[in-house]
Amino acid sequence: MSGRAIFTTAFLLKGSFIVALFILIFTSSVSYKHTVVIAESTELLVRSYKIQIQLEQLVSYVKDAETGERGYIITRDSDFLQPYNTARDKIKGTLFALQYLTSQNLRQQHNLDSLLLLVNLRLALLKSSLEISSAENLNKRWLEENMTKGRKTMDIIRSQINKMIDLEVSNFNEHQKKYNREISITPIFTLFLFTVTLIFLIFSYLKINQDLEIQKRTNEKLLISIESIKHAEIIGEFGTSQWNLKTNKRYYSDNLYALLGCEPQSFEATVENFLKFVHPDDRHIVTNGVKEVTDNNPFPVEYRIIRKDGEIRFFKSIGKFITDNGNSKLYIGISRDITQQHLTEQALVERNRELEHSVNELESFNRVASHDLQEPLRKIQTFISRISEKELSAMSETSKEYFARIKTSASRMRTLIDDLLLFSRANKIEKVFEKTDFNQILESVRQELSQTIEEKNAVIRSASLPTLNVIPFQIQQLFINLIGNSLKYSNPDVPPEIKIECEIMSAGTSPILEGNASTNYYKISVTDNGLGFEQKYADHIFVLFHRLHNKSEYPGTGIGLAICKKIVENHNGFITAKGIPGIGSTFTIFLPA
Amino acid sequence: MHILLADDDEDDRLFFRDAFEEIKIKTKVETVNDGVELMNYLTQPNIKLPHILFLDLNMPRKGGIDCLLELKRMDQVKNIAVVIYSTSASEEDIEETFVLGANVYLKKPNDFSTLKKTLEAVITTNWQYHTSGLNRDNFILSI
Amino acid sequence: MKLYIKYDINTTCKKVLEEQLEKEQLAFSLISFGEIELLESLSGDQLKRLNESLGNYGIEILESPKSILVQKIKDAIIEMVYMDEKLPTFKVSDYLAEKLKYSYGYLFNLFQEVTYTSIVNFIILQKTERAKELLATNEFSITEIAWKLNYSSVAHFSNQFKNETGITPTTFLRIMNKRRKMEEEIKQL
Repeated sequence: MSGRAIFTTAFLLKGSFIVALFILIFTSSVSYKHTVVIAESTELLVRSYKIQIQLEQLVSYVKDAETGERGYIITRDSDFLQPYNTARDKIKGTLFALQYLTSQNLRQQHNLDSLLLLVNLRLALLKSSLEISSAENLNKRWLEENMTKGRKTMDIIRSQINKMIDLEVSNFNEHQKKYNREISITPIFTLFLFTVTLIFLIFSYLKINQDLEIQKRTNEKLLISIESIKHAEIIGEFGTSQWNLKTNKRYYSDNLYALLGCEPQSFEATVENFLKFVHPDDRHIVTNGVKEVTDNNPFPVEYRIIRKDGEIRFFKSIGKFITDNGNSKLYIGISRDITQQHLTEQALVERNRELEHSVNELESFNRVASHDLQEPLRKIQTFISRISEKELSAMSETSKEYFARIKTSASRMRTLIDDLLLFSRANKIEKVFEKTDFNQILESVRQELSQTIEEKNAVIRSASLPTLNVIPFQIQQLFINLIGNSLKYSNPDVPPEIKIECEIMSAGTSPILEGNASTNYYKISVTDNGLGFEQKYADHIFVLFHRLHNKSEYPGTGIGLAICKKIVENHNGFITAKGIPGIGSTFTIFLPA
Repeated sequence: MHILLADDDEDDRLFFRDAFEEIKIKTKVETVNDGVELMNYLTQPNIKLPHILFLDLNMPRKGGIDCLLELKRMDQVKNIAVVIYSTSASEEDIEETFVLGANVYLKKPNDFSTLKKTLEAVITTNWQYHTSGLNRDNFILSI
Repeated sequence: MKLYIKYDINTTCKKVLEEQLEKEQLAFSLISFGEIELLESLSGDQLKRLNESLGNYGIEILESPKSILVQKIKDAIIEMVYMDEKLPTFKVSDYLAEKLKYSYGYLFNLFQEVTYTSIVNFIILQKTERAKELLATNEFSITEIAWKLNYSSVAHFSNQFKNETGITPTTFLRIMNKRRKMEEEIKQL
């Protein structure tokens, strides 16, 4: 939004400027035109008046000439000829002036020509009148004729002059009309433009003001951000860099310098200068990273740097490109000092390796021991049985008894080793997880235990079971153990009834399950109507070799449930037991969905 | 009935021979000490092949599984009945031997009389397959 | 590729017998399955030669009448077990007694004497073998096979199968499938 505002303001500014300029030019040219027109009008007016004056003067001079003539005619005094002569010269001058003044107006020129003729005629008449009168014989009739002609010519002259004057006036009026017409538009138009400009300028002013406000606030926020980042960099032990692709200038933040052990901005921000701090063996990682960035393929790189004080630290850098609206690409990079994490991680990895190694050793020890212990034990048992067969009759009673006990103990040892072997086999290493249909597993289990099921008339009912990613043989063993137990520890004379149920539930609903509300588990429960057990032993029974019954009452070494627990744990699951003595037991296993 | 045992353990070979001695069925028992000897024995020219081969799994130099694999690829011996005669193994491992072509898996028993009984059962069952026109491929027995 | 074949043993054997007997230029007539009437008696050499040549085909000339009868019992049982759809529901004892015209008690004892196993065991053996064949075809479920072979329940069938072979029917099936897969992989190499 602020980007657009700035954009609009620039536009507004430019627009205002251009519009104002335009209006200025327009107004100026209009003013200029008006000035010119006014000048013209003034000139025209002056000229008009000048013409009128000249014309009046002409009439006046002609009258002077007439008066002079009259005076001479009456008095025959040559003094009266003086105004006549002066008038004649002045008339010439006036005509000359009029000639010049009317040069613009063709009609008026024509008129003037006519006037000239008339004036010349009058003057000629005057002259002839004077000649007539100055002659010895005054021809009264000629004089009268002349004077009458003269008077008529004068009238014509007058009318001609009036005509000319009228023409001038009408010309002038026309011009004025035109001028008024033109002028009348201008003020309105100017007012209109002025209003528009004013509105535009006010609007621009407001908008610019608004944007400046926003900018001011943005600037404030920016300043705060910059300060925060500075602090964040220090606390988070990272530094930032920027690289403007257009100008190819780089910028390293103060903390980046600090992480390298230098004063802020103590050297020019270039890749070469940075590489000086990178461990020689890792320089190729950094240069590769730079190259990847240029190819628009940024990914995090880890490398070592050697600080100014010689200390080796581990850095991790990543960056990305941002393009602004001007389409100039800016690369922003973050380099983090991950030395602490790195060392911790390494320590952890090492520890894990050691642990795994230990576990492997233990498991393989267990497996080998169980296996290798079998052999000699078997031989012992076999030889015992051989001797029993062949030599029993020859032995003394005590020997026979001892022998029997040896046999029993060997047998017991055998069972223990067999069970240990079973337990050691229930490990996770090198075991393949595959999608397994639990219903099929249950079917196999039914077949495996078919003898006991038949013997005891047991009924096993099951809900539809899911298909999960598990170790098939181990799950089979799990069910064999659980169902086998239910069959074994059944109430005498009561046919065992075993019910298997299944539902999905989320981890949140039970405190023993790991995970949050979004982790789901399959809850499979095996319930029987057998002997049950006291709930206080619920955890006890899963412990290796712990039993609730005497070995003479019920056979077994107490490893079955321990194996079940191990198998369930191999699959990241949980197992619990609930028992009511005399009523039955329920074993529940939870397996991650 | 010609029987061959491959087992590295002296005591086990002893038990084996003694057991057959006491079984009613007429048998001729021979033993070899490990896998290499076994393959050498079986690949001799003009050898009279045994009817049944008892094969221990844990033998030095060449173990039972390796021998089994080799045997099943040799035309002249692949039809001999193979009995894996070994100490206890996991269910998966037992199944694996069947998949690889063994006919019988015999867990070495803890006492002598059981040994005699089971050996007898193996022999008899094998004989049944031999004589009653039963499908050899389906000869699978786990004791 | 795989071909599934059904054998008609009768025809095969007859053909073989005919060929072999003709080779020896013996006049004969086949009376019934397992019985040949020769129109002249055999010399010891001839008998030996015949036995040898027939031996190549797995055909044996039975020595004693007891063996003959036992073989007949076996054949009858095999015939019964391999009946196409389903095993017959009548009692085996009655069936054998009627078919072979001897009392069941006599047949039972005779069988025991000659083969050292009982008829019951032999029947179980044959049924188990049939079960294995049916399992190997992969066409029938375990429930169907149990029904075909006249077992009262799947549990009963599994039980007997396990007693005979030491493994459960599902395990057997699994082993057969894995074997097949392995053989195919080897062939592809």
